[in-house]
Amino acid sequence: MEKNLQKLFKQASYTPESRLSGDIWKVIEYKKNHISKINLLKYMILGVLSLSGSIFSIKILIEQLSKLGFFDYLSLVFSDSGIIVTYWKEYIMTLAESLPIFSLNLSFFLLFILFISIRKMSYQFKQKLLLA
Amino acid sequence: MEGSDENLVKDYLDGDDGAFKRLLDKYTSSVYNFSFRFVGADNANDVVQDVFIKVWKNLKKFNSEKSQFKTWLFTIARNTITDYLRKKKMVLFSSLDKEEEDFVDSLESEDFLPDEDFIRLEDKNTLNKLLNQIPENYKEILILHYQEDMTFNEIGKLMKKPLNTVKSYHRRALIKLKDITHQN
Repeated sequence: MEKNLQKLFKQASYTPESRLSGDIWKVIEYKKNHISKINLLKYMILGVLSLSGSIFSIKILIEQLSKLGFFDYLSLVFSDSGIIVTYWKEYIMTLAESLPIFSLNLSFFLLFILFISIRKMSYQFKQKLLLA
Repeated sequence: MEGSDENLVKDYLDGDDGAFKRLLDKYTSSVYNFSFRFVGADNANDVVQDVFIKVWKNLKKFNSEKSQFKTWLFTIARNTITDYLRKKKMVLFSSLDKEEEDFVDSLESEDFLPDEDFIRLEDKNTLNKLLNQIPENYKEILILHYQEDMTFNEIGKLMKKPLNTVKSYHRRALIKLKDITHQN
């Protein structure tokens, strides 16, 4: 009975138009293209924002580094390396204290975002090229 | 596994677009046929398109360890049809659930359909007309089992029903089909 019923049901199947799967594929490609465009725009905006933010924060970082005397302490390495070898522990502590932690973190964070958006943008470009 | 549905899903997720196209070509007819029986010719194309767009969007969520691709695909098809019918305020798949909970399986396991019924049903239009007269849940089981070659276990997963309930539905579906065949 099982086999007979299978045969009956298969005979009674409805067949779709032959172009149906092709039409659905076109819709999917269109949607994929649309999503890719939106993502590209999103990452471009993020990239521009993080680039300008990085420039601004690096500028502030350099200013703060020179204000806190980081560069002066660093120049000791070249002018008087004997003292540094003797008092290396104190030297490292002083150097660390002269670091503007907040600006440093902010700069690294923005550079990281910039790196991610460039990576994502190149992926989206690749996708677009594949779809073209 | 070579060339299996699960491999095609993996290939697509790895960047091979053609793999999804192959899945689409393979299952369009089955999903169309299943949808047609619940939403009719006018809406079947739209429902099939919705089903495959949902599949494409959710392909990353497919877990081959939990279910077969075909079962997952038909679960999405079933949910899409349910949503469609709900929007149109038509009968839902679950409309029989309450009634079926109380069903006591006391039917005999002999052949439900004698040869003369088979001869009558051999006409494509007759079977389709009769299928339209039986409740949606029964129709669903018959189509999935006899047309899509799904096991009762797979159907149970798809309908989220225990195996025995699916078997009971199946028996009742055949009895209903037999009754309607005699009435016509």
